[in-house]
Amino acid sequence: MSGIYAHIPFCKQKCTYCDFTSFPNKLNFAEAYMACLYREVKERGRMLAKKKFDTVYIGGGTPSIIDPKYILGLMNAIRGAFRLSPDAEVTIEMNPGTVTAEKLAIYKKAGINRFSVGLQTAVDGQLRELGRIHSAEDFVTCARLLKGENFSADVMLGLKGQTKEDVKKTIDLAAKCGANHISMYALTPEVGTPIYTDYLNGELPDEDEVADLYDFGRGELLKRGYMRYEVSNFTKPGYGSRHNLNYWRRGEYIGLGVSASSFIDGSRFTNTFDLDEYMKCILSGYFPVVETEQVSGEDAKFEFIMLALRTAFGVSAKEYRRQFGTDWKEDFAEAYERTKEYLEEQGDITRIKDEYLFVQNHILTEYMN
Amino acid sequence: MAAPNKNLRNFCIIAHIDHGKSTIADRIMELTGQVSKRDMEEQLLDSMDIERERGITIKLAPVRMYYTALDGEEYELNLIDTPGHVDFTYEVSRSLAACEGALLVVDATQGVEAQTLANVYLALENNLEIVPVINKIDLASARIEETKAEIEDVIGLDASAAPCVSAKEGTNIRDILEAVVKFVPPPEGDTEAPLQALIFDSYYDNYKGVILFVRIKNGTVKVGDMVKTFLSERTYEVTEVGAFAPRLQPKDILSAGEVGYIAASIKSIEDVAVGDTVTGALRPAPEPLPGYKNVRPVVFCGIYPLDGSKFLDLKEAILKLKLNDASLTFEPDNSVALGFGFRCGFLGLLHMEIVQERIEREFNLDIITTAPSVSYLVHKTNGEEFFVDNPTHLPAAPEIEWMEEPIVKAEIYSPPDYLGSIMDLCQDKRGVFKDMTYLDSRRVKLEYRLPLNEIVYDFFDELKSRTKGYASFDYEIAGYERAKLVRLDILLNGEICDALSLIVHESRAYPRGRTLCENLRDAIPRQLFEVPVQAAVGGKIIARETVKAVRKDVLAKCYGGDITRKKKLLEKQKEGKKRMRKIGTVEVPSEVFMQILKTNKD
Repeated sequence: MSGIYAHIPFCKQKCTYCDFTSFPNKLNFAEAYMACLYREVKERGRMLAKKKFDTVYIGGGTPSIIDPKYILGLMNAIRGAFRLSPDAEVTIEMNPGTVTAEKLAIYKKAGINRFSVGLQTAVDGQLRELGRIHSAEDFVTCARLLKGENFSADVMLGLKGQTKEDVKKTIDLAAKCGANHISMYALTPEVGTPIYTDYLNGELPDEDEVADLYDFGRGELLKRGYMRYEVSNFTKPGYGSRHNLNYWRRGEYIGLGVSASSFIDGSRFTNTFDLDEYMKCILSGYFPVVETEQVSGEDAKFEFIMLALRTAFGVSAKEYRRQFGTDWKEDFAEAYERTKEYLEEQGDITRIKDEYLFVQNHILTEYMN
Repeated sequence: MAAPNKNLRNFCIIAHIDHGKSTIADRIMELTGQVSKRDMEEQLLDSMDIERERGITIKLAPVRMYYTALDGEEYELNLIDTPGHVDFTYEVSRSLAACEGALLVVDATQGVEAQTLANVYLALENNLEIVPVINKIDLASARIEETKAEIEDVIGLDASAAPCVSAKEGTNIRDILEAVVKFVPPPEGDTEAPLQALIFDSYYDNYKGVILFVRIKNGTVKVGDMVKTFLSERTYEVTEVGAFAPRLQPKDILSAGEVGYIAASIKSIEDVAVGDTVTGALRPAPEPLPGYKNVRPVVFCGIYPLDGSKFLDLKEAILKLKLNDASLTFEPDNSVALGFGFRCGFLGLLHMEIVQERIEREFNLDIITTAPSVSYLVHKTNGEEFFVDNPTHLPAAPEIEWMEEPIVKAEIYSPPDYLGSIMDLCQDKRGVFKDMTYLDSRRVKLEYRLPLNEIVYDFFDELKSRTKGYASFDYEIAGYERAKLVRLDILLNGEICDALSLIVHESRAYPRGRTLCENLRDAIPRQLFEVPVQAAVGGKIIARETVKAVRKDVLAKCYGGDITRKKKLLEKQKEGKKRMRKIGTVEVPSEVFMQILKTNKD
């Protein structure tokens, strides 16, 4: 399995928690940026001609804010440059406030078959607080347009003043509107974002309150038939994101566009975060890579464990042996012994017990040197 | 018989802390051209970073200067700067033994203070000629005549001819040097007699081996001489001798009366003891010079390497510090919780703090230190009696007939405004009131008898905070007294952590146990499981707190670009873990062992 990620760094306005590479009110750069992106697609496609790809993920920013013709162009470029399998999973991220029937029609024409919609919360006051440009009603409208499609909703926990009731209301809305996949994230206040000030002022729910909301939300999702398959991801049977699973299985992926990351042939590398620099590099015929890390040996093994233990599929001894030729329980004998009580086994699979998934860093550090 | 150079003067400066000793030393060096103004750093002799940062002198520091006096003759002056704080009295006493005279610096705005007196007595014991100097005359609040009168009344020295100076502004510094030349006698001794050199300090140099700071009492020493000390029979060949300029400056020969250093490729640190005498191996002196009184440490703590495998590095560091700090005592120790380390003894709390800081800075070692304790006298039911300073070595309660604890005589100086809260504090600390004296309308002296184990706890911090920093405090050991003492144990997740045990007065066990549990609850990070923190006396639990289990410790999103970030985050967490010690199953940050001593309110 291999994936393609394309980054669209535009939005209408920054959300208060956002530390992604996204430029509000720079839509006039879209034409130039997309031209560069197509060019990067072409060059990378040439370089990776031998590899087969199974998923595409168009993320942002707000990919749905730009003219849909660019998305169509992007998908055409990707299909032209890469060996993309015919049944590929192709996802686009959308803000409910930006979706129209016309856009969706073009997306479908572009071969997009999965939609990830940022709902975050069904409480309008909280949406405003987050700097979101849509209302709960916009989500309902958007979902109506998506009827019958494979779509996912993002839900956020740990918002200022958020109660269990609010979480329930949000999950209810997403479920009733037909989302067959729900990502439920705990808000991470990143340094430099406006919400970090709220965090410093102690206005956000504390660690224990977030954990309570999470446990509650998880219960609500299970009741409605969504199974947890990763720390923050829940799905109706058969709708797990293949693109994201590829990350956690340590599969290869190529990242295209400003700030995008890649993992190819054991090497992790990241494009520049600067829009101007990105375009200048592409136009001068260089890949705009700013950071490269070759991952091998112990490092690679640790990554495998760290990523696999995020998921409900856990570490497969067979898969580990196939990749590294050794037994993982021997490679990590001491750490395994120390953390055994937090793990559960099923055949050749080892995973973190459900109740410890949310405190996994404590467990993972044992596996580091 | 040949007398030493009659134009030689060896002297030191003694003073209460903050009366301007080091600044006077700076000005004298400037005046004699020892250092140019351009090279002058503030407090030149305070060469350790810690000394400069804290503005205090910890180590004695010698320097040689030449001065042409008003009588037209050139004099060689050896000045030894010394610490002012009570904890470093031992350093002071050693410098005094190398001198014939002492400048007694008194701050004209403060007058004679506790430490002024203590140092004067030390100087008198060593038969030094004392030359009073009045400093800080530039300040508006200077009371020159009153200060002179105080010196005459309280100390009994003639202060009529005392130089009145301002070290800060450099006023009248020459008067000091004239007084030294005139009043301090030249050294006695015989340059032709067998070598007798008193070691008054030493340190370890990576290239030259141990550098001995000596005062030659008799004879001479030069490069190539074979020498030995009285304590170890080993013979060494002298590779370098010299003077302090103030950095080491080699010279051909050191003769009786002079102060200088000897290097002899001494690699074995154990062979050298401050207070010992160096003599010629071929023509030894019949007997050593009188050494120093062995000092008894009063405060103890355990020092362990953070990384258990660094025990030998710690040992090396402590041995090297001991060379340079003769009052430090130590013996190997073994704790269930912390592994191998040392039980160290100190002259006071400041001394302890300084030693800990020097180990970390000068030897780049991370250490864990346990709570300071004092030495108790235990009388067992079977008639045995012995001293215990390590709580884990205290016998079980039924074996103890009774115990005694060290008591200090404390003098607290304060403006009268704070008397009430100081008295409350002393009461809290089991103090017994002895006397109160109004020194003048602004200063009161309170005398208390206080148990030392209350002082090593948080007395000083409390005193400072209750008096907005105005009170000062001095103490001296005043013997042992019978007391009801118990061992307070701390249990983490049901297991006793020996490194956290304390010996406390029975009446203090409950409040202290409770405070300890509360502090530990806040200091121990949450783990994957709930950790009960309990305090126990004689197997009976007297307090309990709980460190709740961690609920959320995860990177919520982990997609393409987050993987490297997640690894970095985990690495950081792992680093944090490495700074912790595992006590049973519980991870405890190393700072906890000291910090838990900070009381909230009892």
